[in-house]
Amino acid sequence: MDGGEPRNRNPSSHSVSTSFSQSSRSNATHQSKVSTFAQIERGGRVSSSSTSNSNINPQYYADSDSDSNFVPLLGTCPYMCPERERIQREKLRDLAVFERLNGNPRKSSPTLAVKKFCRTISSKCASDVRPLPVLEDTLKYLLSFLESTDNPFEVVHDFVFDRTRSIRQDLTMQNIVNKKAIYMYEGMVKFHVVSHHKLRHSLSDPNIASMHHLNMEQLTKTLTSLFSLYEANRNSNYVHENEAEFHSLNVLLHLGSYSKPMAEPLSLWFSRLSPLVLKSKEMRFARRMLRSFRLGNYKDFFCTAATQASYLQYCIMEPYINEVRALALSCINFGGYKLHPYPLFDLSKQLMIKESDLETFCKSCGLETCTDESGNKLLPTKQETFSHPKGGFQTYSFLGFQEYESPF
Amino acid sequence: MAYMSMGEAHRKITEYLNRFSNAVSSQDGTSFKSLFTISSNSHYLLSLADALNLFQDYNRLIKQSNNYSQIVDIVTPLFRSLQNYRQGNLVETYHAFEKTANAFIQEFRNWESAWALEALYVIVYEIRVLAEKADKELASNGKSPEKLKGAGSLLMKVFGSLAGKGSKRVGALYVTCQLFKIYFKLGTVHLCRSVIRSIETARIFDFEEFPKRDKVTYMYYTGRLEVFNENFPAADHKLSYALKHCNPQSEANIRLILKHLIPVKLSIGILPKDRLLERYNLLEYSNIVQALRRGDLRLLRCALQDHEDRFLRSGVYLVLEKLELQVYQRLVKKIHIIQKQRDPSRAHQVKLEVIVKALKWLEIDMDVDEVECIMAILIYKNLVKGYFAHKSKVVVLSKQDPFPKLNGKPVNS
Repeated sequence: MDGGEPRNRNPSSHSVSTSFSQSSRSNATHQSKVSTFAQIERGGRVSSSSTSNSNINPQYYADSDSDSNFVPLLGTCPYMCPERERIQREKLRDLAVFERLNGNPRKSSPTLAVKKFCRTISSKCASDVRPLPVLEDTLKYLLSFLESTDNPFEVVHDFVFDRTRSIRQDLTMQNIVNKKAIYMYEGMVKFHVVSHHKLRHSLSDPNIASMHHLNMEQLTKTLTSLFSLYEANRNSNYVHENEAEFHSLNVLLHLGSYSKPMAEPLSLWFSRLSPLVLKSKEMRFARRMLRSFRLGNYKDFFCTAATQASYLQYCIMEPYINEVRALALSCINFGGYKLHPYPLFDLSKQLMIKESDLETFCKSCGLETCTDESGNKLLPTKQETFSHPKGGFQTYSFLGFQEYESPF
Repeated sequence: MAYMSMGEAHRKITEYLNRFSNAVSSQDGTSFKSLFTISSNSHYLLSLADALNLFQDYNRLIKQSNNYSQIVDIVTPLFRSLQNYRQGNLVETYHAFEKTANAFIQEFRNWESAWALEALYVIVYEIRVLAEKADKELASNGKSPEKLKGAGSLLMKVFGSLAGKGSKRVGALYVTCQLFKIYFKLGTVHLCRSVIRSIETARIFDFEEFPKRDKVTYMYYTGRLEVFNENFPAADHKLSYALKHCNPQSEANIRLILKHLIPVKLSIGILPKDRLLERYNLLEYSNIVQALRRGDLRLLRCALQDHEDRFLRSGVYLVLEKLELQVYQRLVKKIHIIQKQRDPSRAHQVKLEVIVKALKWLEIDMDVDEVECIMAILIYKNLVKGYFAHKSKVVVLSKQDPFPKLNGKPVNS
C-alpha cells in the first residue's frame, strides 16, 4: 500500500503506536461494508439490466453538479461509458491512463472507459445515462483503484474524482434517492475524506494543493447531499447504520469553521437533527472533540482522539491537530514559569508527537528550544517570538493514532 | 359540509369580487388585507373556497364585468389557490399563490401611496406559511421540499419593490423578518447578510422609521446571528434592545428573547436573578447559574445533560458548554479563598494536586496534566492572573486581582 501514497511523503512524519487499542475503533462495520468494493476486479464485466420503477423517485436534493432542472428519465446506457462518448474520446485521444487498452492512448474498451463529468449538459437522451445497477458497478470499479499501487495517489484521485462526480450527475438526472443511492453516496464521501488525508501530505505542490481545495468542496457538497438522502429515507426511530458517523464528520469539519462563512452554523444544524443521531456514540465523540477544541483543552483533545476516533474521523481532524498543538504551545509559553523551562519530553507525551518532531514544530512557531546539562531538551517560556505557523504544509507524527490501511 | 346551492355559490363569489374591487377603488387597506388570509382558515374564505369548488365556471364571472378587469390577474390565481387549499392540495395552493403574489407586486408598484401595505404584509406572511406547508406535503410524498427556498427568492423580489424613496419603504423590515424566518428554517443564514447590509447601510432606510414590532423582531434575529458568530457584546446589545422594546404583555415573546439573552449574559459574566428565571419559567437555567456561582463543574455538566434536548433545539447548547472555563475559574478562586483563611502566607500558591482533589470531590476524574492544561488555558485567556510551574506542579497567583471579573466582556478567544 505504501506505493499508493504520494512518493514524496515524509517517512519520519508517520509512526506506529503499539499502544493503540484496536478494539476501540468503531468502524468495523464500515470496514466490512467497503471491503466489498475492493473485491471487484479491474476490468470485470459490468452487468446491465433495466432499472425498476421502485428505484426512481422525484428529485429530493439539489446537487449542484447538475446545472439545470431535468425531467426525470430512465437511463439505458449498459456500459460504464456511453459508446458515443468513448468513440469520440478515442479519436480525440482524451483517455485517462486507466482507460487505455494495453496502454494505447487511442484505444479503450467498454470495460475500461468511464463516463466523464460534463459541466454543461445539452439535451441528454436516455442512452447517455447509466441506470442504477450500472452506476453501482461503475462505482465499485472506480473505488477499487484506491487499492492500486501502480500510480501516484494524485493520479488515481484525479480520475476517481471526476468519474464519481459523473456518477452523482447520472443519479441526479434520474432522481434516484433510495437506499442504494445512500450507500453509493457514503462510498463517495469516504473517497473524498480519504483523499483529504492523503493529498494533504503533498500540499507544497501547487497542483496537489489545488486538488485538495477542490476535494474539500466536493466533500462538503456530497456530504450535504448524503444528509438529504438520509432525510428522504427517514423512517421513524430508525437510523441508517452509517448515518451517525457521517453526521459526525460534519461536526469535525467545523473545528475550523472560521474559514467556511457559507456553512450552516452548527447550533442551527443541531436544532434540526434527530435526537437519535445527536446522541449516537459517533456524534457524542465529535461533540466532545468540538468542546475540547473550543475550550482549548488540548489534553482532552488528544486523549479522546487517540482512544475513540475512527479512521474517517481522524482524516477530517488531522489538519486541526497542529492547530491544537500551536494553541498548547502558546498557552504554555504565555503562562509557564520563566525560571523552569518546560521539558520537551513531557510536552511531547501530552501533544502525542515525537520529541524530535516537537522540536521542529516549536521552531516553526517561532520558539527556540535549548538543552540542559543532562542532555534533556527544554522549551523556555515567556518567549516573545511566538507566531502561528504559516501554511501548515508539514505533517507531523500523531502518536495516538496507528497508521493503517485505507478501508477501501 | 353544509349544502350550498349553485345560486348561493354564485352570490358568494360575486360578493367577494365586489368587495375586492371596492377595496382597491377606495384604497381600503384594512378590508383589502382580509381577502388574502388563506392559512388563517377563516370561515369567510373557507366558504368562498367551497363556492369556487362548486361553481367551477367562475372565470366567466370575472371576465364578464368591467369592474374586475384591473384585478383579474390577482384574483384568478388566488381563486385557484383557495380551491386547492380547501381540497388539501398544498403544493398547488402554493403554486397558485405565488402567481397571486407576483401579480399583486406588479399592481403594488403602480400604486403611489402605501395604502395596501397591510395587504402586502399578509401576502408575504402567507407566502412563507404556505411554502412551509407545501414542503411538508412534498417531503411526505418523497419529493424535494424546495418551495420555501423559492419563497425566499420571491420575498427578495418583494423587498426590492419596497426599497425606494416613497412611503412604502417602512414595509421593508417586515419582509426582512419573514426572510429571516425562512433562512433560519432552511439553515442558510449566510443569506441574511446581504439584506442586513441593505437595512443598515442603504441611505433610504432610517431604522427609527420602521414599525416597532418589526424592529423588535429584527433585533431578535440579528442578535441570534451574533450568537452564532460568538460576538457576544453585539448579541447582548441587539437582544437587550428586543427585550426592552418588546410588548410587555407578550410573555411568550419575552421568554423567547430571554432564552437567547441569558446565555449571552452568562458569557460576559452577568448572572440573572432567580426571580427572573422563575417569573418567565426559565428554570432550565437555574443550575447553570448555580454552577457558575459555586464553581461546580459537575453541576454544569448535569444541567447541560438534563436539558440537552431543550438547549440543542433552541440553539444555545454550544454557548452554554463554553461556560466551563468560568466554572473552573470560580472553583480555583474558592480554593484560593479557603487557603487564604488557613495559611495566609501561602495563599497565592495553589498546588495542582489540590485542584485534582477538588474535582474528584465533584466526581470528576482528571489527572494532574489535564489540570495543568486547564490552568494554562485560564491564564492564557486572562481568567486567572499568574503563572504555573510545571516542575513543582503549582499555580502561583498574582497578588493583585488574580481572578479578574469579566464585567460585560467576553472571555478572550
